[in-house]
Amino acid sequence: MYQPMLFLHWKQIKVVLLPLVVAAFALPLLSIQGLGSWGSFPHETISAYQFTMNSAFWAPVFPALAAVTGITLALSSWNWDHQLHHVYALSLPLRRWQYAALKMGAGTVLALLPAASFWAGAHLAAASVALPAGLNAYPNALTVRFLASIMASYALLFALAAGTVRTTMIVVTGLLAFMLVGGTAGDLLGNHFEAFQRVDVVGTFLRALVSRNGPFEVFSGSWLLIDV
Amino acid sequence: MNSAIELSGLGWKADRSFSLRDISLRVPVGSIYGFLGPNGSGKTTTIRMCMGMMKPDHGEIRVLGMDVPRDMPRILAKVGYVPERPHVYPALTVAEQVRYHASFFKPWDEGWARELMERLGLDPTWKISRMSKGETGKLLLLLALSQRPSLLVLDEPTDGLDPVVRRDVLTAVLDYVGETNATVFVSSHLVHELERICDWVGVMDDGALVAELPMQVFKNGIKRIKVAGAPVEPADAPFTILSRDQANGSPAVETWVVRGWQDSMRAWFESSGAVLRDIVDLDLEDGFVELLRSSRPRTPHRS
Repeated sequence: MYQPMLFLHWKQIKVVLLPLVVAAFALPLLSIQGLGSWGSFPHETISAYQFTMNSAFWAPVFPALAAVTGITLALSSWNWDHQLHHVYALSLPLRRWQYAALKMGAGTVLALLPAASFWAGAHLAAASVALPAGLNAYPNALTVRFLASIMASYALLFALAAGTVRTTMIVVTGLLAFMLVGGTAGDLLGNHFEAFQRVDVVGTFLRALVSRNGPFEVFSGSWLLIDV
Repeated sequence: MNSAIELSGLGWKADRSFSLRDISLRVPVGSIYGFLGPNGSGKTTTIRMCMGMMKPDHGEIRVLGMDVPRDMPRILAKVGYVPERPHVYPALTVAEQVRYHASFFKPWDEGWARELMERLGLDPTWKISRMSKGETGKLLLLLALSQRPSLLVLDEPTDGLDPVVRRDVLTAVLDYVGETNATVFVSSHLVHELERICDWVGVMDDGALVAELPMQVFKNGIKRIKVAGAPVEPADAPFTILSRDQANGSPAVETWVVRGWQDSMRAWFESSGAVLRDIVDLDLEDGFVELLRSSRPRTPHRS
């Protein structure tokens, strides 16, 4: 059952996933451009400061790619079933959680493709530059973070997309309403009452998501390929 | 287990305009049960409830002696389902879809799947999105039959198909039933189609089951009769009067459409002071139409 499910998911996503796999390979290499790769620049002339600044410049792109990959995997998981109104899926002799678990498993295996590609690209990038003293490359750690970020966004969107369109709309609308009403109400109350000036419900909520022990903590850590 | 499908007191309300009302039916094991009704009468909704895809507001459903929805995976493992519309992944090829489907069903009959593919004229390399409705219908039937199901649930399996494909589909079903004695629950609004193959029939109209009887009784028991001097209120008639009109505008002679007719009932007319002038066999479609007319609120002439 698992193998055909994996094949089905692959068939659905390959057109979109392959560019993401290429991007995952290319991004670490792009991030070291101009840093003396393949000996084109004498590394002595590039300071540790430049290395870290360059790494920091590229740092937000890695989690963005991971998020896009995870979201793409999740949406493609359920796309065909939504199109068929789940009639075919529901006629298969499986509990719904078993079906969802098979789909989740298939997506998880497919997530390894961009992660492996990223790992290869990161290692190649790290090997291509001569690092100044005091700096190190972290291709493995960055790959683990990249994969974990794919999985975090994949899991969230997978759960959201697994529901009916109505459920998804309720959740998304609820979140948007919370942010809009919370933000506006916070501003209004802050303007009129001093006690509310330091209250930021939406900001606190968003920070809680990405802070330590938050579900998306992995997005907020260090995304530097080259660091001290 | 005497019933392949048993519904008792099934009810479901979609909105103000449509609801299923207290449906109780019984599909005997080994029968070919025709589930008749006009479009929008609730056939597909009832079938989806039997398949555990929708939850009734009240009532009980048992399929192959098991409870819906509790035993759903075990039930689905033994049921071949052909939905009303083609519900297969359009980007797959025929072979890929067959392989995918086969992986979920343990008693999958690979040899028969190949034979059916050949018999139904399906090419394994065809992409489903490029197949016609008839070809997709045949693929769905192939998938359902190759599971070797104990029960086949076919929701309008030949709707929109040309006569040749329709015959291929029905022949494949009948061959399977002949070989395995499986039960078939087939819905359709094409009365003639079911007439030839079914041995039981249930008729749905406006969310209610208006009749359930053996096909033979349904076919033979519906007559159009001419009655002279008909009693105003034939309360003790041994048959069901589906409709009652004046014949050719003559108030003395009436045309009745009756259900449950047997020749021995001629005597009733003499005892009630009426004269039976003529008896005409109705074909199934006329009987079906009269049955629907009689079940609708405006013509409630029932004994």
